[in-house]
Amino acid sequence: MTSSVETPVFQPGDYKTDLKPVWCAGCGDFGVVTALYRAMAQLQIKPWDSVVVSGIGCSSRLPGYVATYGFNSVHGRALTMATGIKASRPELTVVAVGGDGDGLAIGGNHFLHTARRNLDILYILMDNEIYGLTKGQAAPTTPAGDKTKSTYYGNPEPAFDPCELAISFGATWVARAFSGDLKTTVDLMVKGLSHHGFGFLNIMSPCVTWRGDDQFKTLKAKTRAIPESHDKTSRFAAMAYTRETDVLSTGVLYEVQQPSLIDRLTHLQELALKKGPAPTTQEIFKNFFPPF
Amino acid sequence: MPTRDLSIAMVGSGGDGIVTMGDMVAQAAAKDGLNVIKVEAYGPQIRGGESSCVVRLSPDPIFAQGDDLDVIAIFNWADFGRFKGELAPKKDVVILFEAADPNPSSPADLGLDERARFIPVPFAKLATELAGTKAAKNILSLSVLAELFNLPHGSIRKAVEYKFGKKKAELLAVNLRAFDGGAEFARSLNVDVSDKKLTYEATEPKLLMAGNEACAVGALHAGCKFFAGYPITPSSEVLHFLSEWLPRVGGSVVQTEDELSAYGAVIGASFAGVKSMTSTSGPGLSLMTEMLGLSSMAEIPSVIWNVQRGGPSTGLPTKSEQADLWQAVFGSHGDAPRVVLAPGDVEDCFHTTVEAFNIAEEFQLPVIVLSDQAVAQRRETVPLDHLKHEVVDRIKPADDPNEKYLRYKDTPDGVSPMSVPGMRHTVYQTNGLEHNEHGDPASMHLTHEKMSKKRFRKMGPLAEKYNFFRHYGPKQADVGILCWGSSKGPVEEVVRAAAARGEKVSAFVPQMIHPFPEKQLKAYLATIKELLIVEISFQGQFYRYLRSFMDLPEEHLHLFKRSGGKNLAIAEVEEEVRKVFEKMRTREEVMA
Repeated sequence: MTSSVETPVFQPGDYKTDLKPVWCAGCGDFGVVTALYRAMAQLQIKPWDSVVVSGIGCSSRLPGYVATYGFNSVHGRALTMATGIKASRPELTVVAVGGDGDGLAIGGNHFLHTARRNLDILYILMDNEIYGLTKGQAAPTTPAGDKTKSTYYGNPEPAFDPCELAISFGATWVARAFSGDLKTTVDLMVKGLSHHGFGFLNIMSPCVTWRGDDQFKTLKAKTRAIPESHDKTSRFAAMAYTRETDVLSTGVLYEVQQPSLIDRLTHLQELALKKGPAPTTQEIFKNFFPPF
Repeated sequence: MPTRDLSIAMVGSGGDGIVTMGDMVAQAAAKDGLNVIKVEAYGPQIRGGESSCVVRLSPDPIFAQGDDLDVIAIFNWADFGRFKGELAPKKDVVILFEAADPNPSSPADLGLDERARFIPVPFAKLATELAGTKAAKNILSLSVLAELFNLPHGSIRKAVEYKFGKKKAELLAVNLRAFDGGAEFARSLNVDVSDKKLTYEATEPKLLMAGNEACAVGALHAGCKFFAGYPITPSSEVLHFLSEWLPRVGGSVVQTEDELSAYGAVIGASFAGVKSMTSTSGPGLSLMTEMLGLSSMAEIPSVIWNVQRGGPSTGLPTKSEQADLWQAVFGSHGDAPRVVLAPGDVEDCFHTTVEAFNIAEEFQLPVIVLSDQAVAQRRETVPLDHLKHEVVDRIKPADDPNEKYLRYKDTPDGVSPMSVPGMRHTVYQTNGLEHNEHGDPASMHLTHEKMSKKRFRKMGPLAEKYNFFRHYGPKQADVGILCWGSSKGPVEEVVRAAAARGEKVSAFVPQMIHPFPEKQLKAYLATIKELLIVEISFQGQFYRYLRSFMDLPEEHLHLFKRSGGKNLAIAEVEEEVRKVFEKMRTREEVMA
């Protein structure tokens, strides 16, 4: 990840665009974007050397509010764009953002494989346990039994825990935050942005419109910091902080160092270089003459 | 009389080494400077199953696969039966077949007459005697063929040495014993096949490549540095080739989880300023249609190499068709400008790919190269000096702190300079949502109308600048053939054969399919009396696509269309041309 101490010195406000967010008053996503401004300022990330990419949903509007390069793509596909951006321009800081429906339902397959590849990006998932933009349908993180616009008699499907998935998919840095706790959220974003490999930050980001005031209050009441003694390198220990019901443990659940996709792609280029310098088109064509 | 044009088919099961045989004959012929076109056909099985390979050889230019077979080598009649209607022997064909597998049919059943020659060869027995294994029968049969039909014997032997020379010395020795023993056996045969002996003078070696490979080299030539793809028949060779060669030029290949993520990654890389492409076939193109709209809406250059196979759904994965046309030209929700190109031969695969990058970069939209299995997987000799193509790069804005950068500035030609991450004063956010000139989401009707106009305005100058098409035959003709893609090969052969007979037949083959070179076609239509459209699509997608934007001379129009699964044959086109001439004569008689 790019960071710099050169002038100009960036303040959080330097990462803010003039665009007014479409979010409802009280939306948890305001906390997320504010935290991102602060985290980027803390790391002095150059706005023009970074890209924020998203899919579709309330939270996927976020790139428009950050003064970096931005890509508000199509539903569920943010990580595919991020893969191309990062793999072709490894020097850029790439952050993918989106909601639970976008990333876990329609984009679930991309989440799985981007984590497996250990692509060097930070993926911020704003989890409100509902589809907000389409006005209140059940999402993969909506608890079973909850009544929503699309589950008239109650949600017939169980929810899953995004952090548990990320760990099992091969993410090398997995953390959970609550957008109402700005300090911890900033701190985790800084850590995630500094991580080498695929970082996954699940931020509980309440939807005041479709999950009511209760969601914010309940989350606030449930939030606990993961204890200092937690062994972050242990998959087993990390899993103990997933599928929680009565508490919400925030902090880094899992952190290991593994070669990233960029490391591996760079290695392939080194291997290829051993075959000789970059060939011209005419030299490539010579390979198609009979070899004997 | 020996021949200057010989088509040989080899037929057997998956384990018989048919593909190796075909490769060796083709490479040896290229080595001796012959013109070669080689096609393979096989069932969808991974191993085993029927397999066939047809090699056409000539010292003169050739444009289509050999579909009138002079010689067939058959290891197994049952496998031959599985290609019924796909492998067409000439009436005077020479058939070599495994002596231990007697011919189940009579010459008449195969549509042959008394000129046909059937030669039993104990391939398996001889191979076992000479090499100790019947697995060497393919190598043995190569020398039998070479000896009987004057194939480049010395170069084929070199091909055998090359193939087995890298392995254990003993393996090379047994295969050479089989090879030399096969030649000896052939010399002992008392048959007259002098009319099927190839005559040629060896010249400089030629390069031999498949359409998929020509596409991959075209991508490298254009400056492609990123490829993402998902394996699919019949286009995986592009992924394979680039996985070796892209890292050599400092680029990368990512094999993604599906086709839409492949195309997503390509759009991401292109957004980041790096030329990139993906390759696929019909089922993959269906998934990619989602991303095609994004590339069009966000005006991000992208290139798709699509190899058409039989469809819909999983269809005929290993066989050719020309029925992805509507999907390529019209597929997408909303109004999404895009460009569609189509190569007519292997050489075109290189040119259309470079052209696709040029158009994508210059006009910032998705470009689909719509090849088909018949051109993408066949191998043919290509003159090296034809393989040159100018490269165009995209326009970037000035990185000026005093200018307010509008990524989607509404310019006279619709093209707005595109900045890339890393440029300090031209930071912007792009969108799959409708957006204003700045790039911010905007859903007002007026903005949508204005930006749609902007995106479609590009098509005008694009069509002016890029109108790649080819014309074959005389300037004025009685019959003009209009076709696209791999149909070009048989059509070009027919145009030449007609000229030799003194008939006036010409052809118009667009490589630019969308936007269509309409002016050029109209000018062409004025040079012909009758129009024959030829295509491999049950619905006649090409004909109906043409009708969607222009009138055709319906009273002088003849349409030949059929579903795929079998490559277009020269004889089919010949027959259609003959019918058109016949109708013309009948009409003239009636008029008289």
